[in-house]
Amino acid sequence: MKLIAGVDIGNSTTEVCIGEIGGDGKMRFLSSSSVMTTGMKGTVANTAGVIHALDAAMGKINRPVSEISLIRINEAAPVIGDTAMETITETIITESSMIGHNPSTPAGAGQAAGTIIYIGHLPEGKPGIPYIVTASSLSAYDEVADVINRYAKKLDIAGLILQADEAVLVENRLEHKIPIVDEVKSINSIPEWKMAAIEVALPGQSVRMLSNPYGIATLLKLDADETKAATPIAKSLIGKRSAVVIRTPHGNVKENVLPAGELYVKSDQVYPVNIDSGADRIMEVLGQAGEVIDISGQPDTNIGNMLINIKNGMGNLMGEESGEIRITDILAVDTLAPVQISGSLAGESCMEKAVGVAAMVKTKHLPMEKIADELKRRLHIYVKVAGVEAVMAALGALTTPGTRLPLAMLDLGGGSTDAAVIDSDGRVKTTHKAGAGELVSMIIQTELGLSSRHTAEQIKKYPLAKVESLFHMRLENGAMHFFENAIEPKYFGNVVLLHPEEMVIIDEDIPLEKIAAVRKDAKRKVFVRNALRALTEIAPGHNLRNIPNVVLVGGSAEDFEVPEMLMEELANYKIVCGRGNIRASEGPRNAVATGLVLSYTGGQQ
Amino acid sequence: MIINRPSIRIYTCHADRDILKEICAGIEEEGVLYEIEERQETELDVLCYDAANESVLGTGVGVAFSETGMQMKGVPKGRNLFEVSNPTSGQCRILGANAARAVKRMPFRIF
Repeated sequence: MKLIAGVDIGNSTTEVCIGEIGGDGKMRFLSSSSVMTTGMKGTVANTAGVIHALDAAMGKINRPVSEISLIRINEAAPVIGDTAMETITETIITESSMIGHNPSTPAGAGQAAGTIIYIGHLPEGKPGIPYIVTASSLSAYDEVADVINRYAKKLDIAGLILQADEAVLVENRLEHKIPIVDEVKSINSIPEWKMAAIEVALPGQSVRMLSNPYGIATLLKLDADETKAATPIAKSLIGKRSAVVIRTPHGNVKENVLPAGELYVKSDQVYPVNIDSGADRIMEVLGQAGEVIDISGQPDTNIGNMLINIKNGMGNLMGEESGEIRITDILAVDTLAPVQISGSLAGESCMEKAVGVAAMVKTKHLPMEKIADELKRRLHIYVKVAGVEAVMAALGALTTPGTRLPLAMLDLGGGSTDAAVIDSDGRVKTTHKAGAGELVSMIIQTELGLSSRHTAEQIKKYPLAKVESLFHMRLENGAMHFFENAIEPKYFGNVVLLHPEEMVIIDEDIPLEKIAAVRKDAKRKVFVRNALRALTEIAPGHNLRNIPNVVLVGGSAEDFEVPEMLMEELANYKIVCGRGNIRASEGPRNAVATGLVLSYTGGQQ
Repeated sequence: MIINRPSIRIYTCHADRDILKEICAGIEEEGVLYEIEERQETELDVLCYDAANESVLGTGVGVAFSETGMQMKGVPKGRNLFEVSNPTSGQCRILGANAARAVKRMPFRIF
């Protein structure tokens, strides 16, 4: 009777599997556990987590850790992943020349153009000139309505801009209806006596004139050159319910197109590819290049800086000079990122084309021996560094019921997507690809303009619902869910995430459908592309059809929709693909730890 | 005579006039109709509960002197969704807006 422990130190969790070898030489699995990894993967700080996990696993079967006769830890894959995002064009609209926002209740509908006048200066107004009046929140709604009604008899008042949320209140008291934009925070920075155009969209629609360069030209009487300069303004007003464009004399708008730069993929020769040509083209070039030695970017461009930052960051982490660090794989993804418009009056941003990159660095071997020595010293148990991580994962994956050789394993992790294929003779081929769960979180965060990464992580993990009353909510898939008692008012009307313990409110005002679409799209862009890339590389003859079954393991295999997406995609190649169920009990977790225990008996035989 | 207009009901008992005016402004800005009725009842919980249950829209506001509350149909008496004593004019607006948002199924604003 001999107890063997398999220990897998991962980026986020440390997992343990305990097996017992009986007198007949057969292996029985007794227990397993999973705890948070302490310190960075591959450092001596991991020891504490390992001991904790061993305690937890042995605690489950009420036996002391000292009964273990051998601990096998994984030879961690010497790859570290990182992600970065950069916009490749940038619009800078200087001087506050526009407002475009979505107040919940603007009033009136239509568009108007005129000269800006503060409400207190109406006595100085001249008949025959159209005016756009502005009023700060110091003036009450009934006073504003009163003043406008009085002056509308003498002057041509075409529109109204309010600081307070009172557009409907004012409009209900006006004799002649005009478009009114409200909730303009920095009303005092609107320049008086300048020409302005305002527009309020019809209910359920968005602005039409001001989101069209020729519409702006019509209202503000612009010539061809000025119209060209106004195009970025029109672009940033697309989809807004109300908008104001103010004509400032010096054309204070410039669209600054940053040099996007080139990416250099170095293998047998250097393959350059322009970032502007898009993620698909980049990945195509990367595919053609074959075995990559290093990837770098053109100096002093966004992509160049981005890759240098990634290298520096990883260099610091590993204590190596950034010059020695080589990026051996990237995953580029086309995305959109919100860019704050400088000098805006209501905090507007506009979406700009961006590229997200996950990069992977090959490092020297991680010092697993040091961890083994430390464990040996503290536990007085023989510790062995055994087996390559991906191979162990594949061995563990093979314990999933319904699998057979040749078998491919896809490890969907946080930083990288790893794959291994075992052929019928037991030969193993492995690969590591940049980009996994963290890149998905980053895409969700930027595309939805979320302030915290934590919210993005949660959106990635849990399905959505909209609370429609105190007694029910509509789930993402259209089904209804009823509550027995009235829920707390804070949830009412909100989009929430169905966290198993407590519903999480999404503070940002984004429709459920959009969040769901962005989330699914991000997962597809990263996981489906990477799965195909990784499997094609290791498949016999680089043909996916030569792989009969794929088992998904790793943290992201527990995702509620990624396995289904991959299953649908791989079904096109007649591949059986699904979430692993290690030892028919562990789900997609514990594959490496299980593989480590299994490989011990394999080694004996 | 229209008996049941789709409106938020506001039941009052010697309501402070400024408070009532601001609550109404809050509802009006959100574009929902309301009706005010003076009642004999002095208990805020009862005013709110009755208003909610007698409103076609299932949303009621109660104002007793300078105490204010908002209630929705189906929620037990005494468990008002919001309750503010001696509210500022800003809080009155939010209370009114929230009554309207309850009708429009929109998230509540925070006081």
